[in-house]
Amino acid sequence: MSELSLTAVGGEGFQVTPTLVDFNLRLVFTGNGDMNATSVVHEYLKAVHEEALRLGLAQVSCDFKQLTFMNSSCFKSFVVWIDTVKISEIRYQIVFLTNPNLPWQRRSLEALRRLAATLVTIETIA
Amino acid sequence: MTDPADSRALVSLTLSFRPLANQIGPLRSLLSDLCRPHLADPDGLSRLLLAAHELLENIVKYSVGEAAEFHLHLEAKTSGLRVRLRTKNRAAPERMADARWRLDALARAGDPIAHYDELIRESAGRRDVSGLGLARIPAESEMELYYTTDRDWLIVTAEGNASKRVSE
Repeated sequence: MSELSLTAVGGEGFQVTPTLVDFNLRLVFTGNGDMNATSVVHEYLKAVHEEALRLGLAQVSCDFKQLTFMNSSCFKSFVVWIDTVKISEIRYQIVFLTNPNLPWQRRSLEALRRLAATLVTIETIA
Repeated sequence: MTDPADSRALVSLTLSFRPLANQIGPLRSLLSDLCRPHLADPDGLSRLLLAAHELLENIVKYSVGEAAEFHLHLEAKTSGLRVRLRTKNRAAPERMADARWRLDALARAGDPIAHYDELIRESAGRRDVSGLGLARIPAESEMELYYTTDRDWLIVTAEGNASKRVSE
C-alpha cells in the first residue's frame, strides 16, 4: 500500500490531522470550525477524496471528539464531499466519531447521514 | 431607558458593533458564560450557541456599513427558559432580496428539518456559498426564525425554548 500523501493542516484554533491504518483513513478534527476554517476544510476534503481513490480506501473516519463547533460553511464542505463520494464510481464508507458532551454534533451529523444513509455512519466515542 | 422586559431577564445583552469574523469566537464564549448558569442541560446551551453563531456569522458576511446590532434575551417562564436572539444590520439590495427569499421559504415550510434536508440536497451540487446557515437554526436549534425590514435594515429574530430552568 502506498504512503499517505496527506499531511496535517490548520493553525491556531483549528487543525485536521490524518493517520492511515490499513485501509482506514482517520482524520482528527480539533478546535473550532468557523469562518477562518472554511477554505481549509473545503480544500482538505477534496484532497481526502483524491487520496481515498488513489489508495483504494475502504473507509474514512472523521474524529470530532475535540471539534468544539462547525459552522454552516464548513458543514457545506462535508455536504459537497459526501455528494462527491455518492456519485463516484468508486465509493468508500464515511464514519463520524462524535463526542457525547457536544450535543450539536449528533444533530448536525444526522443531516449528513440522511443525505447518504448507505455511506454515512455516526458513532459515539467516549 | 430600560425595557421593562429586561428586568425579568436572566440575561439581557445588546451589542452595537462593527462585526468582524474574529469577534465571533469571543462573543460565543461570552454568551456561553452568561447563559450556562441558568441552563439545566447542555443540549439547550448548545442549541442557543449554534443559533447565535449562525446569526453572528450572517451579519459578519452580509452587513454593509459600519454598525450592526446583536441582542440576546433569556427569560424564565413557567414552562422553562425562553430565549430570543436578534440581529439587525444594513444589507445590500441583492442580499436583502436573497435573505427575504430564504426566510419566506422557511416560514412557508411546514417541517423545518425536511426543508433543511431539501436545501442540503439542492446545495450538494453547488460549490459556491453555503446558503444553509439560516435554515440550520430552526432545524437544529428548534427555534422559530422570522424577520422584519426597515428600509435597508434587516432584522432577524430567532426565538424558542432554551431548556428547563436550573432549580433555584
